[in-house]
Amino acid sequence: MTRGTLVYIVQRAVLIAFTVLVVSFGVFYVVHSLPGNAFISDRLHGRALQLLLHQYGLDQPIIIQYWNWLKGAIHGDLGISLVTRGAAVTPIVMQELSVSAMVGGAALVFTVGLGLLFGVLAAIRQNTWVDYLFTTFAVIGYSVPSFVIGSLGILVFAQWLNTVTSGAVYYPLPWQGTYGGGGISTLISISLPAISIGLYTSGQITRITRASMLEVTQQDYIRTARAKGLRARVITIRHALRNALVPVMSIMPSTVLGILTGVLVIENIYGIPGLGKEFVESIFTHDYNLTVGVFTIYTVLIGVANLAVDLLYAVVDPRIRY
Amino acid sequence: MATTVISPDTDVVTEYAGGTLAREQVSLWRDGLRRLRRNKLAVIAMVFLVLLALETVVSLFWTPYDPNLVGACPTYAFPSAQHLMGCDDLGRDELSRVMVGTQVSLAVGLATAFVVLVVGVLVGLIAGYLRGWIDALISLIINIFYGVPPILPAIALYVLLGRSVQNIIIAISATAWMDMARLVRGQALSIREREYVEAARSSGSKTRKILFTHVFPNALGPIIVQATFSIPIAILTAAFLTFLGFGVPPPQADWGGIASEGLQSLQAGFDPYILLFPSIAISLTLLAFNFFGDGLRDAFDPRQKR
Repeated sequence: MTRGTLVYIVQRAVLIAFTVLVVSFGVFYVVHSLPGNAFISDRLHGRALQLLLHQYGLDQPIIIQYWNWLKGAIHGDLGISLVTRGAAVTPIVMQELSVSAMVGGAALVFTVGLGLLFGVLAAIRQNTWVDYLFTTFAVIGYSVPSFVIGSLGILVFAQWLNTVTSGAVYYPLPWQGTYGGGGISTLISISLPAISIGLYTSGQITRITRASMLEVTQQDYIRTARAKGLRARVITIRHALRNALVPVMSIMPSTVLGILTGVLVIENIYGIPGLGKEFVESIFTHDYNLTVGVFTIYTVLIGVANLAVDLLYAVVDPRIRY
Repeated sequence: MATTVISPDTDVVTEYAGGTLAREQVSLWRDGLRRLRRNKLAVIAMVFLVLLALETVVSLFWTPYDPNLVGACPTYAFPSAQHLMGCDDLGRDELSRVMVGTQVSLAVGLATAFVVLVVGVLVGLIAGYLRGWIDALISLIINIFYGVPPILPAIALYVLLGRSVQNIIIAISATAWMDMARLVRGQALSIREREYVEAARSSGSKTRKILFTHVFPNALGPIIVQATFSIPIAILTAAFLTFLGFGVPPPQADWGGIASEGLQSLQAGFDPYILLFPSIAISLTLLAFNFFGDGLRDAFDPRQKR
């Protein structure tokens, strides 16, 4: 790692910190401005409600509340949950992060694997039925919303298959997350959510891989390699694909965003206890600290993911230096 | 010597005397439209979208049943001749609800595209052409939100503003213009260095005139393509919002909301058609917009490869 790389990482870290600051204040302001509050269902009135609000510091001006939250957040303390009274938000969010990260990671592997495979196959069989099949499949992939694929997954695997085989095939639907452990059952439960998310993003990867493969395979060094008598597979994988990866890397940030959105939606369909489910629930229950905490974690996550993508860029294309 | 010129799609043979090779003069737009017309998928998509627009207009005045009438038919009635798509948990006619649901999707898609077009292009032009502190500020804002999935601020903003179709449009547009601004800024940065802009500047044209008569028209191809693709993205985001329960106020029907009800019915053990019909509707619509956008891109923005 050179000095320039370090400087670049520090610059990006500053931008991430600034993003978190702006975005967390925005969300903080918005959720605290929502009508109603977390205690409304308690049938508390008058002085009792005031006392409770005071206890949680919710009667102070919003700037001061944010300042207090920020002081804690810098030390890794994202406050306490208002619905699950007194439970610290940080461990809850970190646990949910591990669940979401597993689903998102599986979706990413699926996306990149399928996208590259289909893209390369479509390119080396350009203008044949293989090409048309995969490019059409790619457009269908990013046209069908992930909630549709997720719902169909439930319909087919959790209900239809179960009925048809009279219970012999059982798809464990609500994956509760494995805190440690794992194994084949986790892999099976995680696959359906991951595929529902990944089909959308794999479509984009297929298309960009195909386009950049077509461009790379026209270049002289490929002809040279072919003239040398190298096998087609070696040329495709070692010579062409490696160079075709550079444009593919350039859409990875949007892939990461797509997967995160997908995880958010799919978690709510499949009842997976991750960040996305928590985000939606905490908005409905006015659990301010959880909403802001989840949002903050999301922002940090994307910042770090994008930084990782940019650093990987330099690995894929050594001409790029920071 | 006479040269024969055959124009590619009219098959008109023109004889030229004198030996100069003449080519039919084709404007950028005619050339693009011609390429678009040859793209079968794009044409099919266009026909579908026109039919969808017609269906939306029809649904404003007429649906088979009142879409919000509870008890128009038996609860969970299976699709039949009277109720082509069956009935939902409250005995409302599904076909009528899916038809009316088109209104929300198209309204959100088109209105967001309009906001994206106006705001994104203006901001991008100003940032890219003027540069300086204003560009720094705009770029900073865009960079901050670049790392946030658009659905998160959309959810937060929508909940704050309250439930209505109008607020869905505001919530989605709030971040959707940034992609367009980023694109237009890049175009403006490169176009402002061209000779014709320099010529206009040195002959005393006002900034506003340069922006709209020189910079904007030369970036129009990518702008149109980007605006077209912002429609399915907005429809998809709106469907996510309504599916997650941040929907339009009931009883108003929209596709994400119906699909969400359908999933609940499915999990309660009922037939899946309530889920299937709005899902098919939204998937076909997004597919049509994407194919149409691809066709536009191939026709008007050939340098772009994605």
